Amino acid sequence: MGALQSSPGQPEYVDLKEKTGFSFSQIRVLHKRFKLLSHNGETLKRDHFNSIPDLACNPIRSQIIEAFFDRRNFRQNGEGPVDEIHFEEFLMVMSHFKAPSPRMIEERESVRREKLRFIFNMHDTDNDGTITLEEYRHVIDELLSLSEALEKDTAKSIADAAMLEVASTSMGHMEPDEFYEGITFEHFLKLLKGFEIELKMNVHFSMMDTPTFCK
Amino acid sequence: MEDFWVFALWALKTWLCLLIGLIMVPAMFGFSLGISEAYMNILVKTLEWATLNIQKVTDERTLKPSASNGLIQREDGSMEKELEELRSSRPKPLVGGDFALSDCFYFTRKGIESIVEDEVTQRFTSEELVSWNLLTRTNNDFQYISLKLTLVYGIGIFVRYCILAPLRITLAFIGLSWLVIGTSAVGLLPNWRMKFWLSEWVHVMCYRICARGLSATIRYHDRENKPQKGGICVANHTSPIDIVILCNDGCYAMVGQVHGGLIGVLQRAMVRSCPHVWFERAEMKDRHLVTKRLTDHVNDKEKLPILIFPEGTCVNNTSVMMFKKGSFEIGATIYPVAIKYDPNVGDAFWNSSKHSMVNYLLRMMTSWALVCNVWYLPVMHQQEGEDAVQFANRVKSAIARRGGLVDLQWDGGLKRSQPKVWFKEEQQKQYSSMVVGDDSSSHSD
Repeated sequence: MGALQSSPGQPEYVDLKEKTGFSFSQIRVLHKRFKLLSHNGETLKRDHFNSIPDLACNPIRSQIIEAFFDRRNFRQNGEGPVDEIHFEEFLMVMSHFKAPSPRMIEERESVRREKLRFIFNMHDTDNDGTITLEEYRHVIDELLSLSEALEKDTAKSIADAAMLEVASTSMGHMEPDEFYEGITFEHFLKLLKGFEIELKMNVHFSMMDTPTFCK
Repeated sequence: MEDFWVFALWALKTWLCLLIGLIMVPAMFGFSLGISEAYMNILVKTLEWATLNIQKVTDERTLKPSASNGLIQREDGSMEKELEELRSSRPKPLVGGDFALSDCFYFTRKGIESIVEDEVTQRFTSEELVSWNLLTRTNNDFQYISLKLTLVYGIGIFVRYCILAPLRITLAFIGLSWLVIGTSAVGLLPNWRMKFWLSEWVHVMCYRICARGLSATIRYHDRENKPQKGGICVANHTSPIDIVILCNDGCYAMVGQVHGGLIGVLQRAMVRSCPHVWFERAEMKDRHLVTKRLTDHVNDKEKLPILIFPEGTCVNNTSVMMFKKGSFEIGATIYPVAIKYDPNVGDAFWNSSKHSMVNYLLRMMTSWALVCNVWYLPVMHQQEGEDAVQFANRVKSAIARRGGLVDLQWDGGLKRSQPKVWFKEEQQKQYSSMVVGDDSSSHSD
């Protein structure tokens, strides 16, 4: 994006503000952060995320990092992974975590779908539109420790039990020989209907132009 | 043409005489003519005027939040509390495995929060200023304010680069050469009592000249706690200039690796007049050897206190990072010292990945000045039943508290290397015990 001068009203920032909904000061701060993480480079690679110690503590770190390089999250209707991202894409992914402004109900519903889509994409690593048992099991493996207290089968049984529950929720009663391919996005939405994810899955950015939507 | 050269020579001679008379002689004998104080007064008033001007024009009554407030407001809950909350908002009661899809939300959010802002990586860049201090290098978000301000800024550039910088470079050069000559000369003397006194005097004098060379204003607090012979002085590390700052007020024995080039010359000269502890590169790897040499030095009560920076690397003076336990295992008396620079006047942090040493020194010489506070903390000993790591942490907290810095547990080595894999396992363990622990209790029902 060239050498961005950080004064408000710059054309690139105006564009980003409209696309993502962040304020100018937030974009400025995030851009500084981007430059810090990328060591003043133009693009961010997966490796750059590895230098954040707090992130190293996170069990699902690799999924989170992958989410930044997943074209489905760039709101451009693309698919598949990329190797490096520019600031615009970084900001796009971040915008999924913005708190919605207090507006009409329809907005909230679409914001909700968007956030749930983000989480769905995080689980659906092979990009086929469903979360299979394998993918689900993989997430559980990441979350649970590989310590001796936990046998290998425990993780598997937890995954199976959870999948069974999901299947019964979305498909009702299942025949014994029916095969459940995986959770589609619609099932996913149904599962998490009760959750007010638009409230829970937010990062509270300060210095907003618009008033903060408090929990 | 000849007249020009005669004139130039005469100008140079006057310049040097003025320098020696007004700056070096007071430095040598430790009194002050008040020139630096006058300069600092003018500087402080100018910066205050600039801040007021900026505030008036931009209408932002609320200036940028300081680094400690940050961009994000984080939740205060622990992992258990938050996961409980998430699960409780599930419409259906949990059956079977206690694993809930919703648990991902918590970790995802935490992950994104740490990507946007984390405690550690921000410590390896210069501190953000609340208000601009008329230096180009700190001009991040400030745009054109008024003609007056731009004029002052322009004058500032001229003063800093054309008047102050040559002056400072000359002083630094004189200071360092005098250090080499003086210490070598003292080294030729036999071991009388005079020799120690002279050596101390030469060292302090040279560091004073160097400090004048940076327009450093140093305020020492609690000088009754000053490090004594036979002890180890530990301090937080921001830049190589820390050495100049501390040595202005006393003599220390340095510890470090033997370098080649200019620094090598300095090291060899310094060792001639009083003992320092210089290691070869290969010797540094051998921990026992290092510990032994330090112990020997410390046990000799005639030798000067050793100066060590246990962080091992330069940090940006907003926090104190993990102290390496090596120097705390020796069992000597520890004299902690806290150093805090005032970032408004000049940023002392050496970002070694961004600037080379020479580049850094030039930046120092073209800042306005250097203002710092040095606090001598009361002496500390290793207590019964306390191991080296705990002792190191105790000293670190004391230093952080005194200097008004954030006390971090992270290792300064993270500046260059990446965090280890076992960090991830800590969180995993905590989470598994929640999931599996609940599981077994529900099975027993």
